[in-house]
Amino acid sequence: MHTRVLHQSLWALLLWPHLFAVSAPLDCRDDPASLARCPSISQEKLLDRVIHHAELIYRVSEESCSLFEEMFIPLPLRLQTNQGGYACITKSLPIPSSKSEIQQLSDKWLLHSVLLLVQSWIEPLVYLQMTLDRYDHAPDMLLNKTKWVSEKLISLEQGVVVLMKKMLDEGTMTTAYSEQGAFQYDVQLDILESIMRDYTLLTCFKKDAHKMETFLKLLKCRQTDKYNCA
Amino acid sequence: MMKNDGGVILFWLLLLFTLYARGKSYSVPGKPTLTRCRSPEKETFTCWWEPSSDGGLPTTYKLYYRKEDSSDVEYECQDYRTGGKNSCFFNKNYTSIWVNYNITIVAINALGQTFSDPVDIDVYYIVEPNPPENLNVTIQNDKGWPFLRASWDPPKKADTRSGWITLIYELRIKLEEEDEWEIRDVGQQKVFNIYGLQSEGTYVVQIRCRPDHGFWSEWSADVQVKVPNYLRRNRSTWIMIIVFSAVVFLILSWLLHINSRNLKHCLLPPVPGPKIKGFDKKLHKSGKSLDAFKSLDVPDFPHHTFSKSEDLLVEFIEVYVPEEQELMLEKSNDLHDGCLKSESSVSDCDSGRGSCDSHTLLLDKSGQQTDTQDSQIDEQRLGEDLQDEKLSYAHQDMVSPDMSAGRVKTWPSVFSPLPQNRSTSADQASSLEMAKQHCLSDSLLPSEFLTSYHSLSGHGTRDHLGSNYWEFNFGNKRPNLTQPQTEARHQAHSEINIFTTGVKAEPTALKFPTPRSSDYVEVQRVNEEDSIVLRPVGSNYDKHFEIQQGEEYSRVKGVDSDNVLLLLQKEAMEEEMDMCPCEQLSGTTEAHYTKFSTSPEKPTAYTHPTPQPLEERVVNGYVDTATMFTMPPY
Repeated sequence: MHTRVLHQSLWALLLWPHLFAVSAPLDCRDDPASLARCPSISQEKLLDRVIHHAELIYRVSEESCSLFEEMFIPLPLRLQTNQGGYACITKSLPIPSSKSEIQQLSDKWLLHSVLLLVQSWIEPLVYLQMTLDRYDHAPDMLLNKTKWVSEKLISLEQGVVVLMKKMLDEGTMTTAYSEQGAFQYDVQLDILESIMRDYTLLTCFKKDAHKMETFLKLLKCRQTDKYNCA
Repeated sequence: MMKNDGGVILFWLLLLFTLYARGKSYSVPGKPTLTRCRSPEKETFTCWWEPSSDGGLPTTYKLYYRKEDSSDVEYECQDYRTGGKNSCFFNKNYTSIWVNYNITIVAINALGQTFSDPVDIDVYYIVEPNPPENLNVTIQNDKGWPFLRASWDPPKKADTRSGWITLIYELRIKLEEEDEWEIRDVGQQKVFNIYGLQSEGTYVVQIRCRPDHGFWSEWSADVQVKVPNYLRRNRSTWIMIIVFSAVVFLILSWLLHINSRNLKHCLLPPVPGPKIKGFDKKLHKSGKSLDAFKSLDVPDFPHHTFSKSEDLLVEFIEVYVPEEQELMLEKSNDLHDGCLKSESSVSDCDSGRGSCDSHTLLLDKSGQQTDTQDSQIDEQRLGEDLQDEKLSYAHQDMVSPDMSAGRVKTWPSVFSPLPQNRSTSADQASSLEMAKQHCLSDSLLPSEFLTSYHSLSGHGTRDHLGSNYWEFNFGNKRPNLTQPQTEARHQAHSEINIFTTGVKAEPTALKFPTPRSSDYVEVQRVNEEDSIVLRPVGSNYDKHFEIQQGEEYSRVKGVDSDNVLLLLQKEAMEEEMDMCPCEQLSGTTEAHYTKFSTSPEKPTAYTHPTPQPLEERVVNGYVDTATMFTMPPY
């Protein structure tokens, strides 16, 4: 009995600061020096993280696209706009693309659009990863980047879901959209067409990533200053 | 049955035995605590806990966690090994940055289980990166002053390239033998320079990093670097500097020593006391001014000083003549005529012709020299100031009450094409020059005089004088031409007349009308015509001088009531020297001339004793201008 009490008291003395720390779980201090105390992450922080995520995804996708372009696409074929044979897969999605349309969307629909975009890109990126592996001279950096992007996209999806739960107080299904099936895994194309399709994929994803980032930033802006956001 | 009973008994006996053998009591395990959770790259994390007492029995630990968004579901840790003992590792699939984790440790032993307190974890805030890698410190050279350049890489796991984690770095450095580290903030860069190194010291460098919200990493491994010796070059530079400055100092001190005297004069100039050569202060103070002045007498003045032409330097003193008289004089003058005319007489000066009008023997000049000094000076009516003022004052007293207030006018130089321009000098007795009066007007009354005094300054040559006078002339000319003697002119004259005699110029270079040799003349005798025969003293230094050899004399103008011979100043030609003993000081002249006159009388009516020395001067046929100065101003 004495020894047990002694042990416990000794441990109490040693872990004195931790005792206080642990014993205050509701104290939501943003103090990195101690263990996290908040039971849940605040909405602003979550939104910030999501935005940060989206920014990174866009940046890396831009880098991958330019890398791919340099490696595989001859100059005359470099498309700045989405012309050519392959349209973006997300063209069919009900996502606004003009500034005025975007401004008319409510917060809820902004988030929904983001989620839609994210979810619709998960599978194609996985596919892209597979096809790039088959290339002869694909540089490692390109592969790593695309892999990174696909991973982060999944993470982003989770984040957006959590955010939606917090902001809109609603739960959503993670895979709500069945347009995934529209994407066709066509492996019969010749090399040039395959390359062109991949290139189209990358450029489209780059644009959509930028869209996601923009939506989220607009959302954040609305949180702070509702009437002054563009 | 017996066996079963035996088995149970045995079991319990064993249990009791073990209990007693250990001497302990068994219990449920103590409460474990979660000590820390860390994520090295914000993608995975590990948590460690500390077990407490195990209660004497083997205890196992389990970690359960709930995620914030699905708090009803409890998960168990999947990996107890990777992180080491008493740890739980969450890999990528199980790590979410969007949700908090609620973690609980359970200690289980045979007797029971104990739960730890739950802990909430936010992966974003438990990031503690690995230390930076590949720290490399090299010595760089910056013009002989070395510095260290440290470079490193971020930890491998931390994804800084994509911006997933942003790291800031911190470097610390110390000398090997020291204990205190010096910490430097680096920011986000991966290169850092360290300056201000100790020569031949060995430094130890470490680096660590931290994400913007997170914990500092551990310090990296030591990197040692040795700084080379760079002071020797500096030492030699210092030696050179010291040697050079020593040499400069030596030179300067030598120069100072040589010029010490000059420097003393320069820095501490001797205060000139009032000093007149030969003047005895004590005598003066004692009240015997006459004696004092007498002492100034230079007995052989004209003879010696005139020995060289270079010594002859004529200076002029202007004597002021009242305007009306001047006007009259002007009218009656010719250009070469340096005659003064008094208002009461029509002068008949024929200055420059070597004779004075005999019937105008108005010797108003007291003690004036007729001597001819340098030809340049001769008959120049360069006005001079001031000492003559005194003379003129005296003159005034003696001669005429009408005299203007003692201002000395100067005549313009004879050799100038000026009309007789007499300019009165300002009433300042500053110059030491006395103009020599060359001409005495016939009708010189006491009241008017232009007297110019020449004085030998002793410096300068004729040539100088020539140039000087030339300048004088011009100066004089201007005012003179404009008006009859106006104040301005007087002033102008005075300005001009204050002329140093020390200037040396080549008369030949100048368009000098006629340098006059100015020699002194002695009065030889008085002839039957009441003329004074004068004899030049010294002689022909002056090449330009075309003096009439032999007798020269000045005409006696007349004798006034006091038995004073008034001599006309001989108006010489340009080349001629002035032989007239034209003196300005009436009073003194009178006194002097009484000596010459046939009826010598004592000097009369000296208003002040000062002219006495003049008297003596006149004996020699010369008036020392210096003595004029001693006359008290009126």
